[in-house]
Order: sequence, then structure tokens, then C-alpha cells
Amino acid sequence: MSHTNHINQSTLDGVGRRGALAYEFERSGLRTVLTRSSCTSPWHHFPPSYLDDSGCAYTWLVNPSGGLVGGDHLSVEVQLHAQSHVLLTSPSANRVYRSLTQPSVQAVRLSVGPDARLEWLPEVTIPFAGSRFRQSIHVDLAPGATVVLWDSMASGRVARQERWAFTSVENEICITTPQGGSLVERYHVAPGRLLEAVGLAGNWDYVASLFVIGDAVGADVWKRLDTALAAILELRPGLVLGAVSFPAAPGLAVKLVARTAPDLTATLESLWAAVRKELWGLAQAAVYCG
Amino acid sequence: MNTLSLLNGLRFVDSFFPSGGYAFSSGLEAAVQGGAVRNAEELSQYVVELLTTGIGEREAVAVGLAHEASASGSLETAIAVDRELEAMKLGYESRTASRQMGRQVIRLAASQQARHPLIEDYLAAVEAERTPGHLAVSFGLTLAVAGWSKEDTIAAFLYHTATGFVAAAMKLMPIGQREGQRLLESWIEIIERVSRQVAQQRMLHSWSPVQDIYAMRHSRLESRLFRS
Repeated sequence: MSHTNHINQSTLDGVGRRGALAYEFERSGLRTVLTRSSCTSPWHHFPPSYLDDSGCAYTWLVNPSGGLVGGDHLSVEVQLHAQSHVLLTSPSANRVYRSLTQPSVQAVRLSVGPDARLEWLPEVTIPFAGSRFRQSIHVDLAPGATVVLWDSMASGRVARQERWAFTSVENEICITTPQGGSLVERYHVAPGRLLEAVGLAGNWDYVASLFVIGDAVGADVWKRLDTALAAILELRPGLVLGAVSFPAAPGLAVKLVARTAPDLTATLESLWAAVRKELWGLAQAAVYCG
Repeated sequence: MNTLSLLNGLRFVDSFFPSGGYAFSSGLEAAVQGGAVRNAEELSQYVVELLTTGIGEREAVAVGLAHEASASGSLETAIAVDRELEAMKLGYESRTASRQMGRQVIRLAASQQARHPLIEDYLAAVEAERTPGHLAVSFGLTLAVAGWSKEDTIAAFLYHTATGFVAAAMKLMPIGQREGQRLLESWIEIIERVSRQVAQQRMLHSWSPVQDIYAMRHSRLESRLFRS
């Protein structure tokens, strides 16, 4: 019996893929262009698009495999050179499948050069029942750089009434500014170990954070944006509960919980549109985010 | 712990200590006004979550690491933990409250007759704005120097936090002193367990998104009794 267990464990330990995606962007005239890229399975290279006249490189992070399994170790490394503008998103939810032993790992490193703009708004992560997910997102900002970073998680496959049934989700977001001020969000929620560990968030189906950080934005702009975001967060009482505040790094931090995916998506679109308008005078991004 | 250590540390845990903690509700006021906390049972759930997966895995770990910094005499460790807390406390009011109370603790700790070089160095770093001076770090350093064990120091911090919530709740809700004592009693075993567990941890985490949101919403309340 123990021999069988040993074989099964060895087999399980061998499961998983190591996929790396790396992009490098530069400003070329009025546009941001992709100057270097590499990817290994399951990542799929998808060249950037230009969906408006802002010069922003709309780039999709494409993993056609359907989701992450235990033992997967995916990495994303993106470098933005001076004055470039990149929007990174994904075409579908990040599904994390059940795993008996190993976590599914996603490690993201984003380097934003001087006066560059990065918008990181991937689709929601859905941790299936029994799944184990570990994510880290590290952002380094150069002087004048700005990042808009959205990270969201569902309680599970809500349409199947599967809520907060994953084994564990570990998430770490670190944004570092050139002056040394930083923002860190780090949590480890493990309903598989103790259902009560979910707490009051268990009354909601989506948890999300939006961070807008950068040292090139004036205090008056941050104040106007703070007021605008706070007003948006009051638009769906009972369906969305959220707040905005000033973190230790220059910028704004938004945290919210939502009842449904449409509530989450509609709130994100409004928040994001307000950010683009106040910070850069740009229209809402021409990308479906639902 | 001998009696002298007990008494030297107890000063900083006592609600008589002038940290200004009575002015802060850590978001409870917003939660009460928002209808999330309406009675003693909901208050208990709200606070227990913070004591276990919120403050219990962030500030409590920082208290333990500051205690270790004291034992090793490492100012760098204390400052690193302090900065990590600063980065993790996303709400402006919560962050400011923690800094204000922490500065009060470390200033009084440094003015004691029995001076300690690390306390003085840390205070100098705080006054020079080289480190934020959060309550968890000041508290961990101070009780370590007083001779309290790491687990006892963490437990004292969590108990201090718990009494702060009860005191705020008594002003915000129909909860009397006897009910407050009943709640504290029900949290004692949890505090003991969390103190034991987090004494081994080195990484700060926090999972209390709803409580964090209420703490961040507090500044926008139309009428406020508390400053956080």
C-alpha cells in the first residue's frame, strides 16, 4: 500500500508545466512597439493591437490550455522602456483546477521604465474546488512611471454553487516606487483547512483590488480621482462594497467585494474609465473586460 | 517573567497608557454604521476574524519579529518590519493611527530610567522619519526589553487590540460592561492559540478584506465618534 502511495506521489510530483512569457516594449514615435518576446508552452504569443489612437500597445496574455493544474509554474516578465504605454489583459478567466498536492504557481514581474504607463488588468481568477493557487506580482516603477493594477478572485465556480471550496490561495502583490515607498498586499486564505478562515468575505463571491501608483501624478489629481472612485463604489449598494484610500506609496488603493460577476465587471469598467480620464485624459479602454 | 518585568510591561498594555487608542475604532464605527455589526454576536465574528487572519497574521507577526530584533539587537530588522507594515496597511487612517500610537509607546519606553540602546536607536530612527514607528513594532521592542517572552508579548498585543474593540463597541452599540467582559473571555483561548502559532511565523499576511474596506470607508462617514 505504501509502495502504491509512493508511486502515486512520484507521478503527481511530475505533473505540471513550466511556461515562461517575456515581453519588452519601447516607444517608437507615437506608438509603443514590442521589441522582444519569447514564450514557452502553455503561453501563446499574441502580437499587440492598437485599438485606439493613443499609441498604447493592447496586449493579451494568452494561455490556450484552459487553465492551471497543480504543479504548473507559469511566469510572466514584462519590461516597459521609457515613455511606453502598454495594456496587458487576458481573453478569459484564469481557471485553477483541483490539485491533491502541489499548487499552481504564477509569478509575474513587471518593470516600468521612466515616464512609462502600464495597465495590468487580467480577467478574474477562478479557483476550483480543491485547487491550490499561488501568485506573486512584483512591479518596479522608475521615476515618472505609473501602474494601474487590477487583481480579482472569484469564490469558485459560482454558477455551480461552488463557493469558497478551494484548498488555498496565496497572493502577493508588491509595487515599489523609486523613492522607496511601496505597497504590499499579501494574503493566504485556506478554506480547505478551515472554512471559517474565509470570514465575512464568505458572504460575497468576488474579491478585488485596484492599485494606481505613480510619482508623476499631482496631489490635486489624486484627490479628484479619489473622489471619483469613491462615488463609483457607492453606485451598487448591497451588490458592491468597496473603499478607496491613500496607501504608503504615491497613489490610490481600492478594495472591493461584489455579489456577481456583472457587478464586478461594471464596477471595474467605471473605475478604470475614471482612472484613464483623470490620469491621462484618455477614453475608456477599448477592450471587453467581462 | 518576574514581577518587575510584569509591571514594567503591563504599563504599556493598560488602557491607562496614553497611546490615544481610545480615539480609534479600526473601522468598527464604519462597520456599525454600514449595518455589518449590529449585535454582540456579529461584533465577536468581526473581531475574531481580525484576531486570527487579519491583525493576527500581520501586526501580531510584526510584534514577534520586533521582539526577535530586540533579542538580537538588530535595528535593521525592526526597521524592515516597520516598513513592511507601512506598505501593507493600505488605509490611510489605520496607518496613521498605528504610527501615532506606536510613536507614543516608543517615546515613553525611551524615557524610562532603565535605558536600552535599541529602543533609543529605534526612537531616533522614528523621529528622523527613517522608519514609520508602527504600534506593533514599538510594542514588540518595548515588551521584549521589559523581559516579556515573545508569545506573551504577542498575546498582550492581541489582548490590547481586543479590549480596544470592546471599548469602541461600548460607545457605538448597546453593549454593556458585562457583555464586554463576556466577549473578552470568549476570545482568550483564541488569543492564546494565535500567539502560539504566529510566534513561529516570519511572513506578514492579512486576510480580512471586508474589515479592511470598512476601515478605508471610515474617513467618508458623515458623523464620526472616532478617528479611524
